Amino acid sequence: MASTPSDHDDLVRVDFRFRRELAEKVEGNLASFCYQCGACVGDCPAATYSEAFNPREIMLKVLYGLGEEILTDDSILWECTNCYNCHERCPQEVKPVEVIISLKNMLADAGIYPSPVRKVIETFERTGRTVPHNPAIDKQRAKFGLPPLPPVPVDEIRKLIELSPEEENGEDET
Amino acid sequence: MKRFAFFPGCLIPARHPAMEFAIRHTLPKLGIEAVDLEGASCCPDPIYFKSEDKVAWLTVAARNLTLAEDLDLDIFTNCSGCTATLSETYHLLEDEALRTKVNRRLRHIGREYKGTSKVRHIVTLLRDEVGFEKIRESVVRPLEDVTMAIHYGCHLLKPSKIMKVDDPNDPSVMEHLVEALGAKPVRHRNWYLCCGKACQKADVPANMMHDLLGTVNEEHADILCMICPTCFGQFDHGQMKISKQFGEDFHTPPVYYFQLLAFAQGVPYDKLGFERQRFKPEVLKRFETPDPVAASS
Repeated sequence: MASTPSDHDDLVRVDFRFRRELAEKVEGNLASFCYQCGACVGDCPAATYSEAFNPREIMLKVLYGLGEEILTDDSILWECTNCYNCHERCPQEVKPVEVIISLKNMLADAGIYPSPVRKVIETFERTGRTVPHNPAIDKQRAKFGLPPLPPVPVDEIRKLIELSPEEENGEDET
Repeated sequence: MKRFAFFPGCLIPARHPAMEFAIRHTLPKLGIEAVDLEGASCCPDPIYFKSEDKVAWLTVAARNLTLAEDLDLDIFTNCSGCTATLSETYHLLEDEALRTKVNRRLRHIGREYKGTSKVRHIVTLLRDEVGFEKIRESVVRPLEDVTMAIHYGCHLLKPSKIMKVDDPNDPSVMEHLVEALGAKPVRHRNWYLCCGKACQKADVPANMMHDLLGTVNEEHADILCMICPTCFGQFDHGQMKISKQFGEDFHTPPVYYFQLLAFAQGVPYDKLGFERQRFKPEVLKRFETPDPVAASS
């Protein structure tokens, strides 16, 4: 008997388009090796102290390609403490924290950040530092016999950050 | 003198110049010359900018490493976050495809990453280049009977294959460094917990810090010693906030290791910027020598 998709509405379908997009990010492909053992959960401080955060579940959603459940305005990803315990524990070298950061890169592509995060990023992109220079800092430094903060060549940093993929790949560029 | 390129990062030079002073004061006494890097930027930070774009993050980090390569020196950091970024960059750029991608970008500013400068956290310089015994010999006023709870922090130790500092399940480097000062290290029950700074949901780090500070408090340690400026902020300003929020009386003064080392080497208490801390390590004052000349050797 021929079957149509509507006969199997309970079928789980994997969204490979999302997974391929994630795999483009540095180490974004690593969730593929996850066998859902949960070693990352037991040692995760965010999972211990949060009702909702669970790195194993995030990896599972990645495996199923459930991007729209993860990449939301109030994404659960920002509960990660970046402690690297999961990276240390994972027997499959999935590096869940790195997959989570790759997912955050996808959020950034969509222009979604918590505002404190956006603020730090903007400060860095504007000044080349996460704590921008100001005269009060140099005054404090002078008290300890330290010279003023040395200048950062911000134009160089911006150039590196803002290169488009075409420019990046331009072999003839000098 | 052993020479290393010094990568001070953002937080210590701008927010905690006393820490930078202590590093620059103590290292030469231990035979280490810190060579300044011209044109360094933020590492960039492994939490925020890395979340924006990993490739751009790697490229800017690789640029910083090329500054040390120009000097033919290995590079050391005084911040666990900077070490995380630079060590991970060194590790990831062993991959040829990724290195090529990053170098295509670097070419636009006339630079090339080669991978010739190794990344060192400042505690590994103390342990592996100086040695605990030589640190002990540099101490002119041993901090006898001072108990120090130790907070290793996350990025100093993990991921261990990349950071290559110590065993994250049973680290010892900070205990040895504290003992070299003549003080007594204390391993509190929650020693392995994260400071929570990176987490963006307020109640998670608050509850975590409450538990962590609770166990530190139970030990009645005189000082909470750490080696990361981000953790320091969490334990100084953060400790006050947590105490208020939970109605607790947590008050263990946090101190960055190098300020303790500088003090033990004879730098007067009031030259180390402790007055700017919310919780001051006044226990150290009992070691102050009446004659400041004796302290300056």
